[in-house]
Amino acid sequence: MTKFNVINTPIHNVDGIAKVTGRAVYTFDVNLPHMLHGKILRSPYPHAKILNIDTSQAEALTGVKAVVTGKDTLGVKQGIWRRYKELCDEEILARDKVCYIGEPVAAVAAVDEDTAEEALDLIEVEYEPLSAVFEPLEAIKEGAPLLHENAERNINVTRHIEWGDVDEAFKQADYVREDWFRCSSQAHVCMETHCAVADYIPEGKLTVWTSTQSHYYIKVLLSDVLGLKENDIRVISRYTGGGFGSKFELDSAQFCSSVLSMKLCKPVKIVLSREEEFMATKRRTPMFYYLRSGVKKDGTFLAKEARVFTEGGAYTAMGATALYLTGFFQSFPYVWPSYRYDGYRVYTNTAPTSAMRGFGAPQATFCAETQIDLIAEELGIDRIDIRRKNAMYADYEVPGQATIQSCGLSECLDRVEEWIKDRGKLPPHHGIGIAAYGFMSGGIFNWFNTPYAFSSAVIQVNVDGKVDLFIGSQDMGQGSNTTMSMICAEELGVRVEDIRLHMGDTDKCPVDLGAWGSRETLMQGNAVKMAAAEAKKQILKYAAAKMSPNIVYDLDIKDRWVHLLARPERGLSYFDVVKEAIRGKEGQPIVARGHYTPHRKGMISPAYSFGVQAVEASVDSDTGKVTLKNCVTAHDCGQVINPLGLQGQLEGAIAMAAGYGFIEDLPMDEGKILNPNLVDYKILRTTEMPETTVMGVTTYEPEGPFGAKEAGEGLTNPTAGALANAVFQATGTSIKELPITPEKILNALRERNKREKK
Amino acid sequence: MEKQVLRITVNSEYHELYIKPKRLLVEVLRDELGLTGTKKGCNTGACHACTVILNGKTVKSCSVLAIQADGGEIKTVEGLASGAELTPLQKSFLDHGAYQCGFCTSGMLLSATALLAENSKPTVEQIKEGIHGNLCRCTGYNSIIRAVKAVTEGKYEEGSQ
Amino acid sequence: MIRDFIYLKANTVEEALDLIDQHKEDYKVICGGQSLLILMRQGLVAPEHLIDIKSVEELNYIQFDEKEGLRIGATTTHRTVELSPLVLEKFPVLVHMEENLASIQTRNWGTIGGNLCHGDPAGDPGPVFMALNGAVKIASKQKTRTLTLDEFFIDYFETVLEEGEILLEVRLPPIPPRTAVVYEKFNIIKNDQGIISVAASITLNNDGLSCNDARIVIGAAAPAPIRAKETEKLLIGEKISKGLLEKAGEKASEEADPVADIHASEEYRRHLVGVLIKKMVEKAWEQAKAQVK
Repeated sequence: MTKFNVINTPIHNVDGIAKVTGRAVYTFDVNLPHMLHGKILRSPYPHAKILNIDTSQAEALTGVKAVVTGKDTLGVKQGIWRRYKELCDEEILARDKVCYIGEPVAAVAAVDEDTAEEALDLIEVEYEPLSAVFEPLEAIKEGAPLLHENAERNINVTRHIEWGDVDEAFKQADYVREDWFRCSSQAHVCMETHCAVADYIPEGKLTVWTSTQSHYYIKVLLSDVLGLKENDIRVISRYTGGGFGSKFELDSAQFCSSVLSMKLCKPVKIVLSREEEFMATKRRTPMFYYLRSGVKKDGTFLAKEARVFTEGGAYTAMGATALYLTGFFQSFPYVWPSYRYDGYRVYTNTAPTSAMRGFGAPQATFCAETQIDLIAEELGIDRIDIRRKNAMYADYEVPGQATIQSCGLSECLDRVEEWIKDRGKLPPHHGIGIAAYGFMSGGIFNWFNTPYAFSSAVIQVNVDGKVDLFIGSQDMGQGSNTTMSMICAEELGVRVEDIRLHMGDTDKCPVDLGAWGSRETLMQGNAVKMAAAEAKKQILKYAAAKMSPNIVYDLDIKDRWVHLLARPERGLSYFDVVKEAIRGKEGQPIVARGHYTPHRKGMISPAYSFGVQAVEASVDSDTGKVTLKNCVTAHDCGQVINPLGLQGQLEGAIAMAAGYGFIEDLPMDEGKILNPNLVDYKILRTTEMPETTVMGVTTYEPEGPFGAKEAGEGLTNPTAGALANAVFQATGTSIKELPITPEKILNALRERNKREKK
Repeated sequence: MEKQVLRITVNSEYHELYIKPKRLLVEVLRDELGLTGTKKGCNTGACHACTVILNGKTVKSCSVLAIQADGGEIKTVEGLASGAELTPLQKSFLDHGAYQCGFCTSGMLLSATALLAENSKPTVEQIKEGIHGNLCRCTGYNSIIRAVKAVTEGKYEEGSQ
Repeated sequence: MIRDFIYLKANTVEEALDLIDQHKEDYKVICGGQSLLILMRQGLVAPEHLIDIKSVEELNYIQFDEKEGLRIGATTTHRTVELSPLVLEKFPVLVHMEENLASIQTRNWGTIGGNLCHGDPAGDPGPVFMALNGAVKIASKQKTRTLTLDEFFIDYFETVLEEGEILLEVRLPPIPPRTAVVYEKFNIIKNDQGIISVAASITLNNDGLSCNDARIVIGAAAPAPIRAKETEKLLIGEKISKGLLEKAGEKASEEADPVADIHASEEYRRHLVGVLIKKMVEKAWEQAKAQVK
């Protein structure tokens, strides 16, 4: 008998058939009777006072049902850092002033989209432009224009992390290296743009369909700004067309459709255009990174100092978390005996920056891994060896921050080293770059101030043995619906097809904080496992009474067979036991609950994934153009739940992270994004995608369900750094500014040639 | 503006509709016929999520005026399976995890369907070319390429699964 | 949002020209509309009358004649050109150009005529047709005229087409003996528009060594595709050498007049012109040489 019946077997997603037949109904597809369509008017200025808004002409247009501005709202400054009022700084519909191009100032509901759009042109907003500032290193200067009165020098938040005696350790170092890096922005590019359908009824209840990563967050955040009780709001999110970090804060589609619907008592749908999506739905945080590292001659790490200035954009958003996590993961995945980090998030008159897959860690990993290769080169040490020498290991404690319980990093290094050796001699202008990384399995922080358990699950076993599983987690494509069904089936001893999953509805599902920070597999998974174990316990009570085995025997259920653990052939059909058990409970179905909240697991996360990636790239020395050839990853995510889902997560992360490394960027002019469309903002297509190989390294994570931990988000961390190192190997030049464009490479090659001539 | 008659056959069903000539094919399919399996991901003809098959050839339904498709035959994702019987490509997409969020999947399937109708044994390079226009932000494409490849290798011929 | 318009469908050239003539105060012609609909959605183009020539079957053809060369009707789709065995045999560079033009979906619906009339300096067919010494036949209700492609493009999204005129066909003379025509564009994502594109036609003398004629065209380097005439002069009469290619690259970089945008600086574009010219001239030269043997 194998260890698992369900887990570690590749299966297609439980919602897969709905997706390949086009039957999956996304918010984008929701169409209610008498539904109106909304559009949002956005600021053309990066910084301006709103003197007056005249909506009369727009209201007079045939087909227009309502126009709202900030004056029609409660004017609540909201934010996802609800525990810290000063960090709740965004009104969504601005009343007095706008701080970035694209900030909403008014919204219209009309009979159709075209009429709503026409009405936008008829709204007259009188602005008084203010001087604006766009770069964090400018905005932090004395005398720069201020975005928010309470933020002196535009400093939004600062973060400090320190352990060991850093200054003393630098004195001991044989070699000290310092570098500046610049990490660019990146757009999430969910295929389904942000959208919502709000339906308010006179009874005082609001239902909102929306494309989100956390229906619970949206419910609570809407309650904050609309003055409704949390449970007078129902949020439904059955299918979400991609999230990647962009869909767990309150967005303008959700807020404006709700305000309009409350005014009209009719359903209002708002779908953001792709342009709005680029301009005003937050983005990856650009960072200026200063790194100073001190090491011994033999490559032993001694001390690291990091200073970061991030371009915050106009509001806090999730930026405070990204600021902390970039500092924390800057030390990853190595043992640095002493470390000091100072991060400054600076307000600028640009679109707010926030969470995106990797959450500050891709930036940190790019800088750290690029610098490690430079250190290794300088000291003449093999780049795998220097990483192995300083690698984190199981039971290592990051001082004052975290305990690493499982860690397969060394094995990952071995596997990648083997692959590189097997690859043999490379053709000219080819290089293989490597980067090591780690990531969290859900955050421990509770800036949201939830009074609930971080994850909960409810199970009801029905008379026919079918299992209703109610979860609060959100599937946005990453496959958590399938993962949870598998965990439930495994623990309860049934098959995946026996599970009837209920998700994406705050009226029916218990609270879960949502799909972000790689939290679902571990946190929601633990809650599901606990509920399933409790349901099983109840079933086994009846089975024990029925079978009356020797009291020392344990019972279990595997693959619908209730049996004695030591004598598997002695047992009963699960279906028969359930039927009788429910009869014995006066016809009440078996109900069980599970929940999970991390305790005593440090500051950051209960568990960490690890891995090493090698990227092989060729560089055309005439044009600087990079071609990705291979991408090989050894990844430790603990026990794999669904190998098919894991592979998809890892490959998808590579595509997104490679894009960050060499293509994607949001160039601006005076705060205006210059490529807010999918023609000019480029993401990888089939022909740019390298061959991918994923090598699983299995560890057992004691805190995770069946030993599982994060998979998929962490893999966004290494690729930009590995790509930079591949370019370094291929050309001998190191690019410290993302994205690594052909033009930058060509300029670097020219500089090098000039230097060599001298 | 006066509405005009539009006669189209969608998934073998004939429709006579009255539409404004400015309506795009994607809008008519979704809003008039309720075929919401066809998605829209951009406003610039770039993402190809709205791909449908018109008269045997793939087109971006966001870049074709519905009126220009007058008299045409259209296949959307809803027209692929017959009853509960999925097409080989649909089955293979499931088995290879060739979708995640699913928003690009309809367009991707139609591109792949048209590709295989034209060339039943494409090379990997030809598969890449065949679905090149269709953007996917989730999968990194390789699982989709494997799924199409598997179909060309006969793994999903009738009776084999 | 697309503004309302009156839709008028033409089934013949005559009908099309009549409709245009009747509504010449405010009209726009649509064929495949792959670029036009984007502009209409952005509100940049909002005609009162939209005249649809997509179904004009008499303009949907590819014909070849040893004397006259190739004629492609304006409503012929890109995909038809791409898959035509005739084109592959006689003008293989067109197949290569089409295979690298946008997506299959775009090529399935978009047309040769529509592409040229859009007048995008980064379009693919323009430079190739120019290198092939192509011409276009243009008609209005009043007159028909034929112009070379060299004369056709004027400025960003502007061609010589006058009010009342439509493009009927593209004419490409037979490729002379000992001639090869090649095309390549530089981009980051395959099949995107070129950041720079170069089409080169090289004709060798009987000796198979020296250049008899050259037509070099650069796309995306000026408000319209441009002939690099100084570069051509530099090549004619010469034998190929590394030095000659270097000089050609440098000369073409000077002749180009690119602007900076988010995809590349002006300097980088000039550099790419040099790189592509060297590569394309050498490639065409070798292919032409192979014909002499």
